[in-house]
Order: sequence, then structure tokens, then C-alpha cells
Amino acid sequence: MSSWQQTFGVDPWKDRVDRAFARALVLPLLLALALLAWLLGDTLYRSVSVQVLKADEGPGKTYAFGLSANEILRQELLARGYTEEEVQSALGDPRERRVLLMQNRVELMWNTHEGPFRYVVTGLRDERIADFSLLEGLRRWQELKANLKEGERLVLNPWLDQSFLTRVPSRSPLTAGIGTAIWGTVWVLGLALLIAIPVGIGTAILLEEYVREGRLNRILEVNLRNLAGVPSIVYGLLGLALFVRGMGLGPTILPAAMTLALLGIPVIVVTAREALRAVPESLRLAAFALGATRRQVAFRVVFPAALPGMVTGVILSAARLIGEAAPLLLVGAAAYVPFLPNSPLSEYTVIPVQIYLWVGMNLPEFARVAAAGILVMLLVLSVLYFLALYLRNRFRREW
Amino acid sequence: MNALDFLKDHETIRTDPVPEAEALVDVRHLNLWYGKAQALFGISVRFPRNQVTAIIGPSGCGKSTLLRSLNRMNDLIPGVRVEGEVLYEGINIYDPQVDPVAVRRHIGMVFQKPNPFPKTIFENVAFGLRLMGVKGSELEDRVVEALKRAALWNEVKDRFKKESGLRLSGGQQQRLCIARAIAVEPPLLLMDEPTSALDPIATQAIEDLILELKEHYTVVIVTHNMQQASRISDRTLFMHLGVLVEEGPTELMFTKPKHPYTEAYITGRFG
Repeated sequence: MSSWQQTFGVDPWKDRVDRAFARALVLPLLLALALLAWLLGDTLYRSVSVQVLKADEGPGKTYAFGLSANEILRQELLARGYTEEEVQSALGDPRERRVLLMQNRVELMWNTHEGPFRYVVTGLRDERIADFSLLEGLRRWQELKANLKEGERLVLNPWLDQSFLTRVPSRSPLTAGIGTAIWGTVWVLGLALLIAIPVGIGTAILLEEYVREGRLNRILEVNLRNLAGVPSIVYGLLGLALFVRGMGLGPTILPAAMTLALLGIPVIVVTAREALRAVPESLRLAAFALGATRRQVAFRVVFPAALPGMVTGVILSAARLIGEAAPLLLVGAAAYVPFLPNSPLSEYTVIPVQIYLWVGMNLPEFARVAAAGILVMLLVLSVLYFLALYLRNRFRREW
Repeated sequence: MNALDFLKDHETIRTDPVPEAEALVDVRHLNLWYGKAQALFGISVRFPRNQVTAIIGPSGCGKSTLLRSLNRMNDLIPGVRVEGEVLYEGINIYDPQVDPVAVRRHIGMVFQKPNPFPKTIFENVAFGLRLMGVKGSELEDRVVEALKRAALWNEVKDRFKKESGLRLSGGQQQRLCIARAIAVEPPLLLMDEPTSALDPIATQAIEDLILELKEHYTVVIVTHNMQQASRISDRTLFMHLGVLVEEGPTELMFTKPKHPYTEAYITGRFG
């Protein structure tokens, strides 16, 4: 071999090893993606089933596909002999309308005869005769249809439908909904962020812009990172001892929000500090040179420049808080809340807790309800993540 | 000459010293320490009104430190200690009763790397004015005036309210920073190597601008570029190892330097 080949020649083995190494690194990522896709597919699959139902008051009425729930309620009430004014006033009042929706199951279902329909099933009297998984139900569709008895009907039931989002929990899987849990989540998360954002961002500004160096800063830094890693159940115990018992707030929304705020503050502080640290020192110097005080530098220059980063951090920590079930089980998220919360001292339940309770129910169909709940949860989380992603790209800066 | 002897005993060589009456800033026996390391050794010098004074010297000689001590920007660095006086219009700005924030409002500063705020061009220039409580149409007039003086107005007049200062080119950004500094009409303008991050054409624009600014402002400029110092400055200070070696009118400094160090630096034998 000549000397230039020893120096510059291609070594095929080096190349091959490199490529194999790169592939080995990609493998776990692909595995994770495959698992996630499988999980999502499985949840989707389980959230749809074929059912043989029997309604005590007849098979209910069918309405054309695409009508709104309101319109169906209106037609249904008119058919029962209410006058137009009565219907209008009933539907115009949110509380009345809610009661009507609760009493009348308005759902998207496919029925055996004529393709897609909306049903209004009155009186909540639907009774399950049989429940089949999607594939089995479709395979035996003709057979099941032939064997229907008097008053029974065969339906394809997508458990996650419009009314699932508004219904309250129930002992019957057919009428169980996630409405109160959604509102509970909105209340708890909203209040928690209301507490956590000012405290967290204020702390970050204090540490980054005022107490820049020194022992206090270092001690707080280490402790904040540790706090961000403490298991959430520990915060639940703290919340139970301090807020629920100690302050006597009981198992209501406010102590739950305060517990979640405690959980969120360290994460918000850490991300906000990173956002503040990313603001170049030259901007601070420029502002100081123009005769700005420390407060003016912090709030007129550094804070606006760091805002996109801080908002992203807040959204990501909100996404984490929204999925917390453990601490809320301790501070008293209730199993059965048949009404929507209306004040910080209402009883409440939240989406993850509701899912947890459904999974533990006896009736096998609650697994389908839980699957529908999980889909709602995933949907909310995706919206939050995409919002964070959008904000990060929208406000990306080149210094 | 031994460096230690040089630090201890050097008397600044002054050619045509500035009379006290013409000086806007009078630095007297200024010593400065970063922690335990002394960075400035007994600097005494006067900066004349409406003239451009250049500070030259090799890296680490304390020229930027001297510049920053003129508007108390050094106070922001932890562990800085200052002895001596800096008289601005006869007032010692290091007097304990003097508020450094107020000092910085009177003395503008332009940095080495352009550092516009991530705001619109208008908001960049308006920043200092807003701190002073200027509002409404007066604010707008003064922003436009500052942009005109900084020779940026023609390039940005149709977009200065919408476009971010970060979207400008490097030279334009630096002129924006100059506009931002002069918007509050500071009698004294400090510039810390304002063209070292710019290409020759942008540098030319800034140098022309500095010569025009001389009409209204007193300018102190730190530069690494000796041609630049000779082109734009009226007086030159040569510093070495934290000591002011020699000062005098630029022409004389560059044609007949008196100290051997000055001569060596100017002719390019060290630095």
C-alpha cells in the first residue's frame, strides 16, 4: 500500500462502524415512537364498540346526521307537545338546557337500518344486552342483526362523542360523561396557574436580576432543582396536611389548586430563569447606560425579551399539572360529582382522577368510557404542546 | 525599562495640556481595582468640550475600564473599587451623594457590538426618552431628530415604527445604538470600539457620523485602529498596563510621539 493511501485512503470499516453506530442510536427512538403509536391506536380502538341496546321507551327517534344537539332537543321537545316559546326559553337558559341535555342522551350512533344517525334516547333507560369490540362486532354484524329481539337495536357506539364532553359522571357507563371533570380541571388548573405564575416568575426575576451572585442564589438554585424532582404525591401529603386539614378548607378546589401551584412553582422558576439567562448581558448594559434603574432594566428590557421563553415554560408546566392525579387523590378529588363546580370552595373532580376511577370500575364497559376519557386528556395535552411549540417558533429571536 | 518601575513611577507626558476651563470632564488621580487586581494607576486627564478624544493602547491596557469609569458603568461589576475623582462639569460623579443612574442619563454610551433591544426601531430610540418621562408628539419629534442625526433616517423612515431593530444590518444597528444614545441629548458620548464589529463601509459611515456629532457633543472613543484614531480624533491618549503614558493633540502624537512605548505602539512594533 502506498503512503498516500495510508494517509488519505478510504477505510471501509470505519464507515461501516459509523453507520451501524448511528443506527443503533436511532433504534430506541423508533421503539418509543412505535410504542406511543400502538398506545394511541389501542386507546382509539377501545373507545369504539358495537352494542346491542334495548330501550325501554322504544328505539328512540333518529335524526339526520349533522344536526346540532340543540336542534335535536328542540325537535324532540316540539314532538312531545311543548310550544315553540317554551322550547325557546328552555333552551335559552343554560341551566335548563343542561338539565335537558342530561335527561336526553343525544349521541352520534350508527344504526343498523339507514346509516349514520343521531339518536335522542329519552329517559336514560337504555339497557345493554351485549357489548362487542369493534372488530368482532363488525364481523358478526349480520348475525347479530338477524338475532335482534323485540325492542332491541344494534349500534356502533363511539364513546367519545359530543355529549360525553358535557355529561356528568354516572353509575351506568352509557350515561357517564366527563363534563364535570373537564370543568374541575379548568377550575383547578386556572387557579393553580394564577398562584404559580406570579410567584414563580417573580422568584426567577429576583434571583436572576437582583440577587445575581452569592450563597443565597446558589442554595436556592440547588433546592429549586431538587424540589422540581420531588414526587408529586409528597406535595399531595403536604397539601392534605396544610391546606385541607390545617387551614380547614376541606376537599375543595382551592386547596387542590394550591397544591398544584406548589408542584408547578419550581418548574416555572427553573424555566423562567433559563429564559432570563438567555437574554444577552449586552441588552442589560445598554439599558443601564441609558440611565435605567435595576427595576426598569428588569421589567422594560429583560422581561419582555424573555417573555416567549417564560410562556413556553409555563405552558409545559401546565401540561404536567393537568395530568397529575396522585396529589389530587390525596387532597380530595371526589369520585362522584354530579354538578359543575361554581366556586373555589366547590367539590370537584379532574380528568386524570376521573379516568383513574373509571379504570377501577367493575363493569367492563367502563374501560371504554376510560378510553374515551384518555382521548380527551391526550387531546388537551396535544393542544398545550402545540401551543408551546408555536410560541417558541413564532417568537424565536436571533440576538 | 522595567514594567514594574514603569507602573510605579510614570509621569504622564502631556503635550499642549487642556486648560481647566475647556474641559468637560476632568479625571484626577483615578485608581481602580477589580477585586485585588489594580486596573488603573493614577490616571489624570482632561477631556475638552466638543472635541473627539481617542484612547488607544494594546489589549488589556485599561482603555475600556477608563471609559466605563466616566459614566460609572464599572459599578455594575461586583468587586470594583475606585479611588480619585472624576469631575463632570465640576461635579465629582463618585461623590457618595451622586446617583449613578442620574450620571448615566447625562452621559451616553455606545458599545463594541451593536446591541439594539428586541423592539421596534422607534421604541429603541424612545427608550431613554421614556425613562425621562417624555411623551406624545415631543417623543416622536425627538426620536425622528435622533434618527436624522445618526444618519439613519433616510434608510428607515418608512418602516421605523414597525420593524424590529434586530432586522437592520450590523452598521445600521450600530447607528441605531448611536441614535438611541444621543436621543436624550447627552453632552458627553462614550464609544467603546464602536466599529470593531463592522465592515469598512459601515465603519466609514460611523466615522463620518462621529465627525458630525462633534458639533453638538463631546466624544470619547476607545479604538484599536490607529488609522481611525488619526482620522477622527482631535486628541489622543495612549495607555499601557493601566497607566496613561502620553496624551496630546492627535497630529503631534502620531508624528512626534515622545515616549518610546508610544512610538513603538504607533509604528506597530507591539500591541
